[in-house]
Amino acid sequence: MRLGGSDPHTLAGAYAMDAVPEPDRARFERHLAGCESCRQEVRGLREATAALAAAAAVQPSAAFRDAALRAAAQTRQLPPAVGQAPAGWTAGDRGRRRELRGWRSRLAVGLVGALAAVVLAAGVVTYGMQHRLDQAQLHDHAVAAVLSAPDATMMSAPVRTGGTATVVMSHRERALVFSAADLRLLPIVQSYELWLIGPAGSRPAGMVPGSARGGMAGPMVVSGLRAGDSVGLTVEPAGGSQRPTSPPVVLVSLSGTR
Amino acid sequence: MTEGQGRRGTGGGGAARRDAGLVPGTPPSPFAGAREPADELGALLAQVARGDQDAYRALFDRTASQVLGTVLAVVRDPAQSEEVAQEVLLDVWRSASRFDASLGSAAAWVATLAHRRAVDRVRSEQKAAERELRVASSAVAYDEVTEAVEARLDRERVRRCLGSLTELQRESVTLAYYGGYTYREVAELLGVALGTVKTRMRDGLIRLRDCLGVDS
Repeated sequence: MRLGGSDPHTLAGAYAMDAVPEPDRARFERHLAGCESCRQEVRGLREATAALAAAAAVQPSAAFRDAALRAAAQTRQLPPAVGQAPAGWTAGDRGRRRELRGWRSRLAVGLVGALAAVVLAAGVVTYGMQHRLDQAQLHDHAVAAVLSAPDATMMSAPVRTGGTATVVMSHRERALVFSAADLRLLPIVQSYELWLIGPAGSRPAGMVPGSARGGMAGPMVVSGLRAGDSVGLTVEPAGGSQRPTSPPVVLVSLSGTR
Repeated sequence: MTEGQGRRGTGGGGAARRDAGLVPGTPPSPFAGAREPADELGALLAQVARGDQDAYRALFDRTASQVLGTVLAVVRDPAQSEEVAQEVLLDVWRSASRFDASLGSAAAWVATLAHRRAVDRVRSEQKAAERELRVASSAVAYDEVTEAVEARLDRERVRRCLGSLTELQRESVTLAYYGGYTYREVAELLGVALGTVKTRMRDGLIRLRDCLGVDS
C-alpha cells in the first residue's frame, strides 16, 4: 500500500501507463496536484507512451472506418469547457470522477426522497459513475458532465397527464439532463417533445426517445441553456413541431434554483 | 463488430479484401514523437472541435490504426477491441473541444484515451472474473504479450529505443503498456519487489522518451 513513502515520484512511469490502480492512483494524483515538476514528468512520459501506441498500429478495416465516421456524423460534440480550470487529462479527468462519486451520493439521497423517476436516468448514470467516466457510453459522458458539475441541481415535477419528470441541471455547463417515468402512453400519431421556453420564445430541445411506448429510452441531454429558461414537455404530432402546439404537460423553471 | 478477423495475422500481407492502400504501418504516423506532424494533428483536432467532419476524417486516418492497435494489444479479443476502439474514436470527435494543448500533444491525448479505455475494459472484466489466471498463467501471459508486441513493432525507431532499455525495464514497460497490467501485477509476474518495478517503469519510460527525443 505504501506509495514508496520516500519518493512518490517513482510512480510517475506506472501512472503514465495507466498501471496504477486505486487507491494508489488517487494518492498519487493528490501528490501530482501539488508538484509541478511531477506533472511535467508525467506529461513527458505520456509522449513516450504515444510512441508505444504508434508502434502497435494495426490498420482498421474499411467497415470499421465507415462505422466510425458515420457515428461521428450522428453525434453531437461536447461544448468547450468554458471558464473551467483546465481540466487536464492526466490528473484533472480523474479528479472529475471523484466529483462524480460525490454527486452520486447526493443523487442517492435524492432517490430515497421518493424520486422514482430518477431510477430511469440513474440506471444509466450510476453505471457510468461506478465504472468511471471514460468507460460509460458516450451519451453517458454528456449526462455525466452535467451530473458531475459542482452546481448540479436536481428537480422533479409531476407530469399533468401522468408520470414524473426529473431534471438535473448545471448553470455552469449550461446544460440539463431530462428524464421522465410513467408517461401516459400516446397514440401512435403523437410524441412527447421537449422545449426550452425562455423570454424570447420556445426552442425545440428534442423528441423524447421511445416515448411512444410510454417510457423513455434514456435520459436526454439538452445544452445551450439561457437565462430565464424553463424546460417544458408537450404532446406534439409524431414528427415534432416547430413550436409547441399544446400547453406543456409539465413545466420546470430553471432559474429559480441557485 | 465487423471484420474483426485478420487483424493479427497481417504479417503476411493477406487480407485481400482490403484496399491496396490499407497495409499496416503505411500511413504517416503522427506518433513516435515526430514534432511537426504532432502539431498538424493538434491543428486538425482544433478543426474537429469546431465540427469539421473533413478534419475528423483526416484525423481518423492519422490516428485510427494506433488506437485500434493499442486497444488490440491490451484487450486482445478482436470484436471487443473494435468496439472499444470505436468508442475511443467517437470520444475523440465528441470531446475534441476539451483537448488542451498545454497539457500534452494531440497524439498523446488520443493515445491516452485509447489506452485508458482499453485498460478499463480489461480491468472491469477481470474484476468480474476475479483474475483467476493471475498467477497461474503468468509465464504464458508474458510470452503472448511479448510475441504480439514484437510482431507489431513496425516502427523501427520505437523498436530501437525499446532495445536500449535494460531487460527488466523493457519487460516492465511492455507488460504495463501492452499487457495492461498494473504495476503490482507486473511485480508479481516478474517476481520482483514493487519498488523495483516502479523504478524500472519510470526509468524505462524516461529512457524511451529521451531516445525518441519527444517533447514534454
